[in-house]
Formats: sequence, structure tokens, C-alpha cells
Amino acid sequence: MEPVRNTNATLVDLLDRILDKGLVIYADVIVSMAGIPLIGINLRAAVAGMETMLKYGVMVDWDEKARAWEKDNRREKKSEVSSIGSRKVVLNRRSQVAREKNRSEMRIDCPES
Amino acid sequence: MSDDNKPGVVSTNDVKVEGEDEARYLYCVADSSAKANLGRIGLDGQEVFTIPFGDLCAVVHVCPSAPYKSDDNEVVKRWVMTHEKVVEAAWERFDTILPVGFDTIIKGEEDITPEENIRKWLEQDYAGLKEKMNKTRGKAEYGIQVFWDPEFIAGEIAKTNQEIRDINQDINSKPKGIAYMFKHKLGNILKKEMEKRADLCFKDFYARIKECTDEIKVEKTKKADEEKQMLMNLSCLIDRKKSGELGEELEKINKEEGFTVRFTGPWPPYSFVALG
Repeated sequence: MEPVRNTNATLVDLLDRILDKGLVIYADVIVSMAGIPLIGINLRAAVAGMETMLKYGVMVDWDEKARAWEKDNRREKKSEVSSIGSRKVVLNRRSQVAREKNRSEMRIDCPES
Repeated sequence: MSDDNKPGVVSTNDVKVEGEDEARYLYCVADSSAKANLGRIGLDGQEVFTIPFGDLCAVVHVCPSAPYKSDDNEVVKRWVMTHEKVVEAAWERFDTILPVGFDTIIKGEEDITPEENIRKWLEQDYAGLKEKMNKTRGKAEYGIQVFWDPEFIAGEIAKTNQEIRDINQDINSKPKGIAYMFKHKLGNILKKEMEKRADLCFKDFYARIKECTDEIKVEKTKKADEEKQMLMNLSCLIDRKKSGELGEELEKINKEEGFTVRFTGPWPPYSFVALG
């Protein structure tokens, strides 16, 4: 099968990447503002009516287990540390804290359908 | 509006908003020393250009020192898609790039211009950036999502699992109350068997996909359509020339009854440039 790029489903895939991923810069010259992590959340909900929660509660544990298994599997690779890691972390909308916030607010934002 | 104020041309009569050029919106870092202008392809038609440092350059546009934000989904969507288009234009032009997430803005300081700050950052993180460039050179990211039809799978399990078959046979001859308890038990067994099956499928597909990729990241699964359930959600880094091989393996999974595969890309390597 050939990879696809231009469908509604791929748009969600792309949004996840552009909004949550990419190169992270830890420096005090990054512009930030409270509440900025919220950008795109409504958009994602609007595009696909989806959120990070799983439809079947039964699968939640399993999903976590599966990911834990995969993590263990590549633990040996974990020693790879970037030079950026030791740098000063300042207000940065793409910081881990912001991401977690993003996720938890996302859950609240999108009621179960 | 004066006569020389043509569309797409910045007029000298434009009102200068204070601080409007005090920051740079960053799209990506490219593996090139080029000082280039990519044209007015940026967010809201901004001019995109490079800021070189050594053999690297940052791809940016000039902006005020404030994040882009809007309550209008259409506006956000347009920005995000434009961000992606700029990253892809740079990717096309410079071959190897490290994409930056949406709304990353670098500002200046009292006596330092934003461009100097960008060069300083490129200098400080040079080794790490180069390492990531080398890791992703010639490669692209692909998204793979495998779904199953839980009803179909449950049906398959009910047909083949001896314990379930036995209970099913017994159930009709039992009084209502007992039958209810049996049904409950049936549900529990089925749930366990489903999880076991999901686990097996995950490991099997993971191993097969791994064979065809350079690196895999397991993402959170998401809610899918009514009759489907997402079993795995992967980001894969792979040599662009080898995506055919991966496609063939995915086709095999896609043909298994009860399973569907979504294969997207090629994307810039968003999932393979971040820390950790």
C-alpha cells in the first residue's frame, strides 16, 4: 500500500506532529505566554471529533502495557542524551509541563461522545 | 492608500508597529549554509528567509514578540498548514531539515537582536543539531495506525475458545438468574481473551514493521470510528526510498480479516528530532 497525505484522517496525524512535536528549544529567548498550549486543541477536536482517550475502557490498561513493553524493549537505547538537555529550561510552551497540561485540558475539552 | 502601495510589496508608508520586528518565527533548521529568501510563503504571507550559522541555517520570518493565537479554528488551521508548507519547501530545497513545532518564536534582548540570539542558539546546540541531521538525512517520517474490528475479533474468539463455547452451550438450559451470571462470566472471559489477542497482534505487527524501518516511536492510541478500534499508532523513520518495502508489509496486515491499516506520509521527521 502507498502512504497517503491529503485526507481528513491524515490531517489529524499531521496536526499531532506540528502541534506536539518537532525540535524543542530550551532557551530563555523563546517567546511564551500563559494559555498558549491550548492552541489547536479545539481545532483537533473539530477536525476529527477525536481525543486521546480510548473508546473502550477495557483497552486503556492494555494500551499502557503495550507501550511499556515497547519502552522496555528499547531501554538500551536510552543512554542517548542530547546536548540540549542540560540547558536552562524557561517558560516554553513546548515544555513537558505544557504538554501534560495540554493533554489534561484536552480531556476536559472533549466530552465523551 | 498611495499609488506605490502594491499588493505583496511592503510600502514605506506602512505604519510601523512598535516592536513588530523584534522576534523571529522559526520553521526549521536546515543543513545548509545558504543565505536564501524563500519568498512570501510564511504565516499570513510573511517573507521567509534563512539565518545561516556555519553549515546550518534557521528558516524564519520576522514577527512581533508575541505568540500566534486565535480562537478561530479556521485561522489556526490555515497557520498550521502554512507552517507545514514552509517546512516542506525548506525540506525540498535543503534536503535535510529539523522541523520545529508550531508557534516557536525567538526574541531579541536589550542589546542582542533576535538574529544574534538564533545564531547563538545554533552555535550552542550545533553538535546536537548536527547529530540529529545525520540521523534523519535522506529519511522521512511515516504514520502507521492499525485498527481492528472488535466485533469481528470477538466473534472469532467466541467461535474458537473452548471455554466460551461450553458456557454458551450451557446457558440455554439454565434458569434466568443463572444464565445472567453466566453471561457476565462470558463477558469477562471474552474481555481477557481480547486483550491477550491485542497483545499478540501488537507484538507481531511491531516486529514485522520494525524490520522495515530505521526507528519506531509508539504513540498513544486514539478513539477511532464507531466500528473500529485503534490497536497501534506508530511513527516510523525510514529511508524515503525504502517506503515501498514497508508498504508491502502493511498491505499484508491490511489484508488480514478484521484489520485495517492507515499509512500516512512522508512527513518531515517531527517525531525524531525532540529530546528523549
